[in-house]
Amino acid sequence: MKLLIIEDNPQLLDAIAETLSKEKFVCETAATYSAAHEKIHLYQYDILVVDINLPDGSGLQIIREIKKVHPATGIIVVSARNSLDNKIEGLELGADDYITKPFDMAELVARVKSLIRRRNFGGNNFIELGKLRIDPEQRKVYANEKTIELTRSEYDILLFFSSNVGRVITRESLAEHIWGDNMDLADSFDFIYSHIKNLRKKITQNGLPDPIKAVYGVGYKFEIAEA
Amino acid sequence: MKLINRTFRLTTIWLLPVLIIGSIFVFFMIKYIVYEETDEYMTYEMERIVKYHGMNNDLPEFHQLDYIQEGVYHEKPFFKDTMMLEPADNEMVPHRELHFSIEHKGENFGLVIRHLLPGNDDIFQGSIIIILGLMLFIFMVLLLTINMVSKSIWKPFYQTLNILTGFKINTPIPTLPQTPIDEFETLNNTVSNLLKKVNDDYSRTREFNENASHELQTHLAMIRANTEKLINQSSEEGENSRVIANIHQASVQLSQVQKSLLLLSKIGNQEFNKHEIIDLSHHLKQTIDLFNEAFELRQIKLSHHIEECKLTMDPGLAEILTNNLIKNAIKHNIYNGFVRVELNSKHLLIENSGLPYEGEPNNLLERFAKGEKGNMGIGLAIVKQICELFNYSISYQISNKTTHSIQIIW
Repeated sequence: MKLLIIEDNPQLLDAIAETLSKEKFVCETAATYSAAHEKIHLYQYDILVVDINLPDGSGLQIIREIKKVHPATGIIVVSARNSLDNKIEGLELGADDYITKPFDMAELVARVKSLIRRRNFGGNNFIELGKLRIDPEQRKVYANEKTIELTRSEYDILLFFSSNVGRVITRESLAEHIWGDNMDLADSFDFIYSHIKNLRKKITQNGLPDPIKAVYGVGYKFEIAEA
Repeated sequence: MKLINRTFRLTTIWLLPVLIIGSIFVFFMIKYIVYEETDEYMTYEMERIVKYHGMNNDLPEFHQLDYIQEGVYHEKPFFKDTMMLEPADNEMVPHRELHFSIEHKGENFGLVIRHLLPGNDDIFQGSIIIILGLMLFIFMVLLLTINMVSKSIWKPFYQTLNILTGFKINTPIPTLPQTPIDEFETLNNTVSNLLKKVNDDYSRTREFNENASHELQTHLAMIRANTEKLINQSSEEGENSRVIANIHQASVQLSQVQKSLLLLSKIGNQEFNKHEIIDLSHHLKQTIDLFNEAFELRQIKLSHHIEECKLTMDPGLAEILTNNLIKNAIKHNIYNGFVRVELNSKHLLIENSGLPYEGEPNNLLERFAKGEKGNMGIGLAIVKQICELFNYSISYQISNKTTHSIQIIW
């Protein structure tokens, strides 16, 4: 899986590339419009992560170009501008997803993986987490082939964990993932705590070991038990 | 009231004293002329009689004498007003008499010429008719001239007004018409300068917002990426990871505050100008659905009575409005509490149980108001700003110290 990350801030570019490389993606980077322009014409990428605001051009123009040369490339738009117009324009041009700065890396990883799943129609679309199996198309979860009934938030949390296995997910990242701009609802985090508690219960009730490890004062970590 | 109508009204009011003074003047004028003419006529008749008598020692065959008194002598002729009964009308009418005397065959005779005068009521009636006719004429002339003059004089003013009414912020400043009238020229120049300043300020604010958002958000993303990295690198239960988690938490909160502030200023700048007819009940139901799990987790009893409510507003803002209101009702609620939602074409009412609050409830609508649990956040301030944008009236009330209710009247 080959990714091109286009972002003008070099430190953020490094951070994104480093995180995505750890997920076994091949990451290339471009810090300017012209560099990105050159790369999309020379090489082929599966996914493009594009910042709209570039010093020498607009990321929207890159989207227009890639749609001409490699229309199959998946596109995730990153924008600092929290403006609806850019979002709509980006999605109209054929971008697959839109993420506003600032975001957590866990969120970006989840978005990239979700996009790969959606692009990969022909292949195996199930996510296997040990004995847990997620069917993202049906939004269903199976434990030992038995369906687990999850609420919407519980499912979202599990899917988010599935993209970030082995990483510590802060409570804030979880809250932002579930509620987005409405995450301030979870200021006291009792909601997150309850959701995790219920999710754990539903998994262990089906005879599976508890995969969610609490990291005291920080958040949670999803680990797949070996066995 | 229209300028031209106002001009008419004021001008017409000033015609009223003219009408009264004019009537009095005309009344006395007519009276004076009638006396003058009657007296002149009677004097002439008297002179004819005296002259005829002097020559023929007799009275003329045709004379206007009313009656003759024997043995009456007047040193000088004099006029006298008298009232006489007019048998035809059976009414007392004023008459003018001229008394004079002649000597006939050594004896004095007093002669009286009498002439009918128009009554005061007749003169008054006449004056009023004259003045009214005149006024009507003047009024019609005024109507025409004011109409024509106003139209040409105020034309540049109305043009400017028209252009200003159609002006939308952040569009090119329109060229105001040239006018030979100094006052309007000054007005147009002042207005042009103001529009330029408004546009400049607007783009400056917008630019500042965008710069601030771009720069802040990129660096916040940096902080978040690096703290996440550190959290994953440090030993899991160590003191450091909690310190780093605190930094991460603060940066996430800062991101939220920054987004909210940006949203507030965008609403204030009227950057949401997609006005559509929406049914708010649709948005409200979606919001309730979105927070459904939160209600359940806190065991909050939700009761709602939602009717259709058509409003003209930006759909994005409608969503933010309902989200923030319901979110607020859950966030500041208590375990086992309640939320009551009522929506119809007149108002939206959201009541919820909460912690006791002693202060002024409407203060909670301000940004970063201090509540019992510390900062109340910015959600309600955004709601208030949206209400102000669309001229809805919003009020916050607390009854029994623990029942909070927010009402928005469309």
